[in-house]
Amino acid sequence: MPISSRNNNGQSLLHIEGDMTIYTAADMKDELMNHIAQPCDREIDLSEVSEMDSAGLQILILAKRDSERHGTSLRLTGHSRAVLDVLDMCNLAPYFGDPVVLSCNEKKGQ
Amino acid sequence: MGKAILIVDDSASVRQVVSIALKGAGYDVIEGCDGKDALTKLNGQKIHLIISDVNMPNMDGITFVKEVKKLANYKFTPIIMLTTESQEGKKQEGQAAGAKAWVVKPFQPAQMLAAVSKLILP
Amino acid sequence: MSLDLDQALQTYIAEARELLQDMEDSLLRLEADPSDADTIGAIFRAAHTIKGSAGLFGLDPIVSFTHIVEDVLDRVRDGDVVIEANLIAVLLESGDHMLHLVDVVAAQGGQLDAEAIARESGLRIRLQDYQANQDSSKSNNVVQVETEASFQSSGGGFVETDNWHISLRFGENVMRDGMDPLSFLRYLSTLGEIVSITTMFDALPPADKMDAESCYLGFEIDFKSDADKATIAGVFEFAREGSLIHILPPHSKLTEYIDLIRSFPENETRLGEILVSTGALTQQELEDGLSEQQTSTRSDGSTTPLGEILVDQRSVEHEVVQAALDKQTQSKDSKSKENRYIRVHADKLDELINMVGELVIAGAGVSLLAQRVSDNGLQEATSVMSGLVEEIRDGALRLRMVPIGETFSRFQRVVRDVGRELGKDIELVITGAETELDKTVVEKIGDPLMHLVRNAMDHGIESASIRQAVGKPAKGTLRLNAYHDSGSIVIEIVDDGGGLNRDRILQKARERGLIAPNVTPPDSEIYNMIFEAGFSTAEAITNLSGRGVGMDVVKRNITALRGTVSLDSAVGQGTTVSIRLPLTLAIIDGFLVGVGKSSYIVPLDMVQECIELSEKDRQETRERSYLNLRGEVLPFVKLRDHFEVESIGGSRRENVVVVSCAGQKAGLVVDELMGEFQTVIKPLGKIFSTLRGISGSTILGSGEVALILDVPSLVHQAVNQESQKVSTRQLSHSVM
Repeated sequence: MPISSRNNNGQSLLHIEGDMTIYTAADMKDELMNHIAQPCDREIDLSEVSEMDSAGLQILILAKRDSERHGTSLRLTGHSRAVLDVLDMCNLAPYFGDPVVLSCNEKKGQ
Repeated sequence: MGKAILIVDDSASVRQVVSIALKGAGYDVIEGCDGKDALTKLNGQKIHLIISDVNMPNMDGITFVKEVKKLANYKFTPIIMLTTESQEGKKQEGQAAGAKAWVVKPFQPAQMLAAVSKLILP
Repeated sequence: MSLDLDQALQTYIAEARELLQDMEDSLLRLEADPSDADTIGAIFRAAHTIKGSAGLFGLDPIVSFTHIVEDVLDRVRDGDVVIEANLIAVLLESGDHMLHLVDVVAAQGGQLDAEAIARESGLRIRLQDYQANQDSSKSNNVVQVETEASFQSSGGGFVETDNWHISLRFGENVMRDGMDPLSFLRYLSTLGEIVSITTMFDALPPADKMDAESCYLGFEIDFKSDADKATIAGVFEFAREGSLIHILPPHSKLTEYIDLIRSFPENETRLGEILVSTGALTQQELEDGLSEQQTSTRSDGSTTPLGEILVDQRSVEHEVVQAALDKQTQSKDSKSKENRYIRVHADKLDELINMVGELVIAGAGVSLLAQRVSDNGLQEATSVMSGLVEEIRDGALRLRMVPIGETFSRFQRVVRDVGRELGKDIELVITGAETELDKTVVEKIGDPLMHLVRNAMDHGIESASIRQAVGKPAKGTLRLNAYHDSGSIVIEIVDDGGGLNRDRILQKARERGLIAPNVTPPDSEIYNMIFEAGFSTAEAITNLSGRGVGMDVVKRNITALRGTVSLDSAVGQGTTVSIRLPLTLAIIDGFLVGVGKSSYIVPLDMVQECIELSEKDRQETRERSYLNLRGEVLPFVKLRDHFEVESIGGSRRENVVVVSCAGQKAGLVVDELMGEFQTVIKPLGKIFSTLRGISGSTILGSGEVALILDVPSLVHQAVNQESQKVSTRQLSHSVM
């Protein structure tokens, strides 16, 4: 499964691995939404996301919006290069409001 | 490694020129000489874009596009159709089949590169 | 031009020539069967590809002319133009002109001369008759952008910003169609600077209603760029279907912004705020604009005029898509039996075959050594290896084998054109087109064939009136046939014309002293006289005038290919010319024989059997030049005498290799039979060209040179010697 989860002091830790693209979007949405429906705070580790397109971005937006509706918090962490590129391009980092770590090299590499 | 592009055309010179232009820009290029041949190239490897001619022996471009759309691993691959200005009908047929991008033949390599870049950068 | 592109251009030239040949073949086929949709499709594809590829190389003269041809062919395909003789004639000539264009413009990088330009304009005029009216609807590939027409309500001035504003709401299906909105943004950023971007996802439905493969995204972008509107609009051209795309140039009218705000699904205030926050509009501009619009538009509440227009526009596109779908179900998938090829440079193949030749020689050397040391294991291993080498050799040679059909079908056009010129209706029937032979042979056989075909049409086949007078069908038939026969390919040119005039040829041959006045050779020999140098003249053989001219050249060309040519004719029924050629010029299976210290190779496929020369036979051979082979007269040649080989030791046994060629048998008397041997043919130098009975040389595994026997000439010699002796004997009898 591309999404694995574990529990840490009542907080759910999700880990997404592989592509977040239109090819995986449908499955990923269903799975992620199952998690979001659980009433607890949650963190998603995106460090292993290898590729992300608009479909993947929509899933993240949906997760964020639905978490807000459920009154739980969603934190994105460990953004991989692929995720950062997309958030940067769409100017969406402020929307998610998570601290984003950019290494100097990576920034220059753009 | 660059993004992989499959160019399908029965004309070897078209394939060669497109291939030179795209490789020069940093893409990987795989060639197919007609629809049927091209389908055999869709064998699990990642293809980021397909460029296909319309008029080809064995399997024409429209049929090829329809076949690609049936493949779970490739159905969302962007497809550029090579049409001619006299083939408005073919272009629409191709779009209906799922090839929403097009380049009008005859084209300059730079035009092809521009069309490809809109859909994927290397 | 870069090296790579130059290579691609070479590919194009070869490809175009091939396609033009296909086109010509197809056109001729079409003449016979004008309704063949597959053929029409193939012709169209040929023109289409030639034009399309020419454009890649900027070969405008080719593009511009071929475009017209393609246009006409497109109409033929659609059934708007009917195939008729004139059209085929124009298309054939157009094909010729395209070939000329390819040769001049693509291959030589030159320009058409005055004559060719005149020809082209003539063709253009003739093609015009088949073209559609010139105002044919040209498609508009430019993205639908905001119309420049200004609003009647001239409220508001121009906005201050010098950025473009781009509003995007992507259609639901863009991602399913393989297009990632993010890709367009990435490409956009290569054309300028994205000053600000706001991602719009208000359209994203609740999770349970959201389809993960549908697109709900939109973007409001302020963009700084020197690119023109068409270029910027072009970025999104592939996503136009189902999407809302608005591009406002710098300093657009305020009203256009306001209308933009109104046209989008999001809340007016929200969009307005975004535009202000990104700097596209100032707060003042927004407020002014909104209030002025309110007063100047009809007060029917939430009208969104532009939105409606866009919705209308979408429905139009919907209809277009529907029409395309309908048409699509009608169109049949085109089938084709075209083969797939890898294009390999002929030099590379030749190199490979040369290497294989060396390998064969080296392999033979190893085999000989292994035999000498009589180590069983080694012999077994070498025999396995020679088996493989043999397969590689055959495979390599097969690579160079091409069907003769291509060469044959070229004559369809020749027969058609020459037939018209001569006013004769002649049909060309091709059989055995799939018969394969070495490419190097194919290349050299074209000229002799052309000569023979033209001669057969000109002088062989009679005019329609004569044919009808003798009760033959008015339409003449010329047949090209090919088949394999014991290691050779036989090509036949058969006409159903009047046949050769035997008596005239005989008379002429006697005049020339080619045949003794009192000797009457068999008919076949008389007919073959016409291959003698400068044999015939018009007055000599009236119904054949000219047939002799150049026939000696034909024969010389064929002989140079180690081939033979013969002719058979029946008065009133026609003439058959048979050309017999080796399949390949590179390697043969040889049979190694020894005479004295020398070794000779007999091509294995000509060897019938080997017999030992008994003491009784040896006695007889001293007196006469034929043997009794199971009651059959077998003329023979003693190689020792023929090549003047020194004998070693007197009483060695002798053997006879019985060879056959073109239906004649002869014996070659040799000392030793040394078995089969794969022979790589090395051509002999020019100084050996006068040597009779030798066709080439090869190198044995031991490094020694062996000569390859020219069996046809030896057989000919043996048979002639024999028949001359017989005839002189008969002669002397009759004198007595």
